[in-house]
Amino acid sequence: MNWPSVSIAAILCASNLAAVADDQGIPVTDPVVLAKCGPCHFRDDHGRLARISWSRATPEEWQDVVRRMILEHGVSVSAVEARAIVKNLSNFHGLAPAEAAPVRYIAERRIQPEANIPNDEIHAVCAKCHAFAWSLSWRRSGSEWRQFVTSHAARQKFPASEESVNRLSTVFSQIAPLTTPELESWRNHDSSDLVGRWLVTAALPGRGKYWGEMQVERTPNGDFTTRTILTSITDGSVLVRAGRGMLYGDYAWRGRSSGASTDGGLPGDPLTEAREVMTFSADTTSAEGRWFWGQYQEFGFDVHWQRDSAGPALLALNRSSLKAGSRGNRVRFVGYNFPAQGTPADLDLGPSVAIRAIVSRTTRELVAEADVASDAPLGKRSVVLNGSMLPAALAIYDRVDYVKVSPDSAVASFSDSGHPKGYLQFECIGYQRGPDGKMHTADDLELGPIEVNWSLQVFHAPEGSTAEQVGTLTATGLFIPASESPNLSFDLWVSATAKSEKSPGGKALVGKSYLVVTPPTYTFHGRRYVRDLDRWIDDKPAQPGR
Amino acid sequence: MRNAWLAVAPFAISLLPALLWGHHGWAEFDETKEISLKGTVTDFHFVNPHCVIEFDVTGEKGVIENWQGEFSSPGPMARQGWNAATLQPGDKISISGHPARNTAHAIHATRIHLPNGQEFKLSDGK
Repeated sequence: MNWPSVSIAAILCASNLAAVADDQGIPVTDPVVLAKCGPCHFRDDHGRLARISWSRATPEEWQDVVRRMILEHGVSVSAVEARAIVKNLSNFHGLAPAEAAPVRYIAERRIQPEANIPNDEIHAVCAKCHAFAWSLSWRRSGSEWRQFVTSHAARQKFPASEESVNRLSTVFSQIAPLTTPELESWRNHDSSDLVGRWLVTAALPGRGKYWGEMQVERTPNGDFTTRTILTSITDGSVLVRAGRGMLYGDYAWRGRSSGASTDGGLPGDPLTEAREVMTFSADTTSAEGRWFWGQYQEFGFDVHWQRDSAGPALLALNRSSLKAGSRGNRVRFVGYNFPAQGTPADLDLGPSVAIRAIVSRTTRELVAEADVASDAPLGKRSVVLNGSMLPAALAIYDRVDYVKVSPDSAVASFSDSGHPKGYLQFECIGYQRGPDGKMHTADDLELGPIEVNWSLQVFHAPEGSTAEQVGTLTATGLFIPASESPNLSFDLWVSATAKSEKSPGGKALVGKSYLVVTPPTYTFHGRRYVRDLDRWIDDKPAQPGR
Repeated sequence: MRNAWLAVAPFAISLLPALLWGHHGWAEFDETKEISLKGTVTDFHFVNPHCVIEFDVTGEKGVIENWQGEFSSPGPMARQGWNAATLQPGDKISISGHPARNTAHAIHATRIHLPNGQEFKLSDGK
């Protein structure tokens, strides 16, 4: 096939979820899927394959299915064929973006509390063993849910009476049916090409914000290559990353990228090879997601892409907040296509914030001095530069009420011969209480990172244990587990003591995170358990003497 | 071709997982003993593996002791209406539960009276 002669729009339209997806099932026409899945999945007169035609799922779930078919059912496929099957099933039997959004954190390898579990029975049979988002990564017809519940119960050995199977399959048929309004809506979307220049902003805990650009090119097989250049707002260091990616269902980007590391691959090195999980907006003008790496995917950029445009594009500020009544605040604005000439009127930082002077400006950076009136309205506000708006980019506050360590609870791991260390990067964020006067409520005002001194305190450990036996915390908040694993779990407080911000009583503000440090594996009742993101995986019977 | 397939299938985990926090018990506390304390909240952590209340208790000679009360995990507590803002610094509370086996000022809380008069019998959160 001569790829360049094929209309890109035609390719993208063909790869969307426009296939018929109702309880009549989704016909399968892809020759690789038919060749590899057809021998076991009966194909009826309408071109529907048993089970497959009545299911939809995320790319990760289809990957899992294909892998299981290889490992457990002896299906013989090459890596190229496996990719083709996953791509086809994700495109034609995938979730609509609105269906995938609530479970995005699973693909992005984020730990997130799940408050959407419908009832205790589903909590017991689903969420006790795995994230509930795994269940909601699927859509199935009623009969397929019933078959799935029955086979899953047998496979995972949980008791499931007929009544229980009925209840569970009924609930899932209602909350995750094969045909949904979201899918109907997505069928009619307009797709567009990703090739070209994208503007990128990223935030890496412990290192701050980055900004830059990414060039996307199409490969002959319809996938993409990327080259990304990011500049740190904090220290001006530049990261160059090259990568590859695929687009599933016209919105789900799955890629990998890396750069040439110069610091010897230290933990958290931002040039480490990373997996990229991004979700495009419906109009394909922007995308959000995470690029992550580490034994437990504990390191990662939060990333935003937006299409390049001819006009000014304000991407980021070096300040997250300004104090009411402060004067001469130097603020740096970065982005693309800024006019080389202009006046303070080009900038709008909202009511009661005056631009005193433009200190310097180029087409990619503008430095200004701003005065904040003492009666400036408190809260988040948008910032505008030459018509380009950055929503909620700046907070105006009059005091720091408390500081919070992020993440507020976490797990790190010692290493062993088969498992590298699991690190943890912490950062400390300042907050002002909102109008309700309470801490930790939705109206609290986030003020950005706070300069702190980090420390560790161990508790619930054998008498005499010290934090040093467990690990160290760097000046930038990176927890590094000790090299010698004591083969025990430890509970610690990771404390951040603010360098400047104090309570009304004059004490330095302190934030804490509850850190548990574990061995990477343990044996319990004769079985070996291995740590994953937030789970212990029952790996196999423990070997005698281990 | 090493890991060629893994490169596109890094997510497959289909064995029998259990929540990482789930194996975090209360062995550090002496469940044969019970104590009750009244104090003032200094901080509250609505986090895994256990919710933690930090509170000050004024001892017999007027000396303030810093205590740590642990109980349950956020999931079950959220189903009872708790959240990260349920306790605020300065709140007066009463806590009953099992003291630490060592000399630490720590308690596995089994019952707590909130400032609004509500009493909660707390699950162990295992």
